[in-house]
Amino acid sequence: MDCIKKKVNEELKAGWIGPNRSCDYHPSHFEGQDCTFCYCPFYPCEDTDLGDFIVGRRGNRIWNCSDCLFIHRTPVVKFVLSEIERLGITEAGDPRFPDVLASAKERFYRPGRALMVVGATSDAGKSVTVAAICRILHRRGFLVAPFKSQNMSLNSKVTRSGSEIAMIQTLQAKAAGLKNPDAHMNPILLKPKGDTTSQVMVLGQPYGDYNVTDYYGKFVPGPGREIVRENVDFLKGRYDFVIMEGAGSPAEINIYDRDIANMGAAVIADADVVLVVNVEWGGSFAYALGTIELIPEEDRKRIKGVIFNNLRGKADSFRSAIPEFERISGVPVIGVVPHADVVLPSEDSEALRGIRGKGEGRCLVGVVKFPRIANFTDLDPLFLEDVSVVFVEKASDLDGVDAVVLPGTKNTINDLRWMDERGISDRLRELRGKVPIVGICGGYQMMGTTLDDSQGIEGGVKDCVAKGLGFFDNVTTFGEYSKRIVNNTAEMLVGEGGEVTGYELHMGVTDVHEKPLFRMTNRFGPDAGEEEGSVREDEMLFGTYQHGIFDKMPFRKYFLSFVSHDGKRPDTSDVRDYDDIIEENIDRLADVFEENLDIPALLGILGVSE
Amino acid sequence: MSRILVLGTSSGAGKTTFCAMLCRYLARRGLDPVPFKGLNLSLNSYATADGGEIGIGQAFQAWSAGLEPETDMNPVLLKPSGGGVIQLVLNGRPSQDVSESKPMDRKGALEEAAQAFGRLSERHGFVVCEGSGSPVELNIMDGDVANVGLMRRLGVPAILVGDIERGGVFAAVYGTWRLIPDDVRPLLKGFVINRFRGDASILGDGIRRIEELTGMRCLGVLPYMDLRFPEEDSLSDSSGRLEGGDVRSAFMANVDELTDNAERSGFDFESLIKFADE
Repeated sequence: MDCIKKKVNEELKAGWIGPNRSCDYHPSHFEGQDCTFCYCPFYPCEDTDLGDFIVGRRGNRIWNCSDCLFIHRTPVVKFVLSEIERLGITEAGDPRFPDVLASAKERFYRPGRALMVVGATSDAGKSVTVAAICRILHRRGFLVAPFKSQNMSLNSKVTRSGSEIAMIQTLQAKAAGLKNPDAHMNPILLKPKGDTTSQVMVLGQPYGDYNVTDYYGKFVPGPGREIVRENVDFLKGRYDFVIMEGAGSPAEINIYDRDIANMGAAVIADADVVLVVNVEWGGSFAYALGTIELIPEEDRKRIKGVIFNNLRGKADSFRSAIPEFERISGVPVIGVVPHADVVLPSEDSEALRGIRGKGEGRCLVGVVKFPRIANFTDLDPLFLEDVSVVFVEKASDLDGVDAVVLPGTKNTINDLRWMDERGISDRLRELRGKVPIVGICGGYQMMGTTLDDSQGIEGGVKDCVAKGLGFFDNVTTFGEYSKRIVNNTAEMLVGEGGEVTGYELHMGVTDVHEKPLFRMTNRFGPDAGEEEGSVREDEMLFGTYQHGIFDKMPFRKYFLSFVSHDGKRPDTSDVRDYDDIIEENIDRLADVFEENLDIPALLGILGVSE
Repeated sequence: MSRILVLGTSSGAGKTTFCAMLCRYLARRGLDPVPFKGLNLSLNSYATADGGEIGIGQAFQAWSAGLEPETDMNPVLLKPSGGGVIQLVLNGRPSQDVSESKPMDRKGALEEAAQAFGRLSERHGFVVCEGSGSPVELNIMDGDVANVGLMRRLGVPAILVGDIERGGVFAAVYGTWRLIPDDVRPLLKGFVINRFRGDASILGDGIRRIEELTGMRCLGVLPYMDLRFPEEDSLSDSSGRLEGGDVRSAFMANVDELTDNAERSGFDFESLIKFADE
């Protein structure tokens, strides 16, 4: 506490500083945050609107306000400073601070408002609409959080606190200018394990396996609704707006009363609703009207606008029908958005097929498409380079490839078996030393000699000790151990060096007997200084547990330096950090929406007048 | 003479494949089916024996029906030739280029379609008509040929095929029924839920609700099959999965499998045949 007092005293002397962009840690919460009170003068306020007690390492109660953003809002800061001056407060710990907080709260603390974006179908464009609205509101200075109560995706990311949430919510959080997406933004994550069963993650931690019947019969009516309520309330308490994303169609009338991903969540959050319809496939007026009218009347009145999305070609003819649609449906159309040609990580592995690299793309990168491929957005940055990508689902797909990527998988053992059965493993052994091969996470484990799953943890079958590809002299053992580390930083021990970032998310421990690729440079955490990954440069073999390894330029450029087609290397002259590319594309996406949405109408739905 | 019009709730809903399957089924029953699509927008065409040109979908459907493709099966074919220009093929022969500034004579096209339909129905027992895109695109519904146009002109009873793969199929079926013009709505007799994965019994409540709301009958829930018809529809992004030299025989094997699957799933062909006689 003395240390905090000292810091607060320094802050009181320094006065208003606004966002401290020169600080290494800036922005620690959100783009544009006010850093005047890096240390909060009200700590510990013990106000449950702003924080909660957690149990510390020694069993003691600690006031935790790491998610509180209140003191980082400039109007709050300026008001607090003026009160401090008015009251003549000069020291941290002054007994009048609680009164200052009370008046600041009275003036500025308002629970946020929720808006829900539902789609008439899957792939209607909900995710990008949420991202665009997040950015549009962020541009206007609002604090915005994305939210998806329930997401089915094998593409997850790890949050700062080690929870796992769907990748797309982290992208939306980025659009909202947030630095630390957290598990509240996607409290229920379903990771499909087969055709009928999913692993249910709650607040980013494994909760249990459910089939469809049990999920809707037991999980939803049991803990499901309460989880949605708690988390959406949590976000409403901290942000001006919570932009919620639905899942699939909200008008699946066979499960309507058990649906906590769409209108059910809107009711819980008391959110108004915008319906997004993809025009591309045709029938969009029917999809829109049918969706609106099949929703029971008491919920239907929440639907305040329709966005027709992804229109290709001329809008005039399409627009001519809108007055009639509005007359029939009684819901205003707040936008007709053309197809936006932007590069953003794809939620769906199928969507990767459409992505084209830059340049001539003569070099062919084969990506083994495991049946349980996971975290495939790892590869997105690679797809933007001067290469072409081919998905490998059988041995002959490897014909003519100039490089191979073994991505992550939800199940290393079963996907290794799949690769063996299809003859892909043998073809890879033939390609060893001829083309560069990189394995990430599960793919890296497969590159070792042995995968020991004798307890049946990974594959579900006891006494399974699988033979790996044998590229590295490594042995992976699957036990109860699982690892999830976020915001890793590491220096490259190969090539020209440089810093990379990544995250780890896996079962199993690997005993490594190879030259390492990286040395971890995490500022916090137990791994600092440890070596990671495996490399055999002479055989062009690379392996790492780090997801997201292609995001930063150094490793991508290094890997591409081994790739060539007929002696010609891909053009790597303008390789950029993926984050910058994404940031640019979020802005382009938001621009397209700003141009084609009735922004006053949208803000009107949110209760804002510009 | 029996006739049915198969409409889709969107492009790529599975109309073409469904019609091929239906032709196959009716041929097995000896009901002498013939495929027909009033107007087809397609990049891929097939050359008939007499040197005419029709959409490739009708050629496959013809084979499914045990017939050789002929121009009456697709009297109006629009072939995008780039730059906003579309080549109009009438009764198998290139007729003229149409564009935004020089639009097609839609009334004339509907008349050609009606006459071709008439010729086919004189020679065959059962005309299986395929619609085009969604029948309820509010902005272009007035000039429609293959969907509402045909229903109005010839009073052909219709069923709707909805694709459940993307979700929202109940909304799509209900919304299409709601938006179809009042005068032809009584011709909408039934609907089909296509490409379903899993246990169809979970759909029961939803299906009953749509039946109650619309008076249409659900003819069946067709299981997802990992095969796609060689796409004719320029708006559809699904890629044909038929590989190898003999595309035709590969397709025929697939149609047989589709038909078997439909029968196995308990598809209500009897009601469909009854609608077609109304």
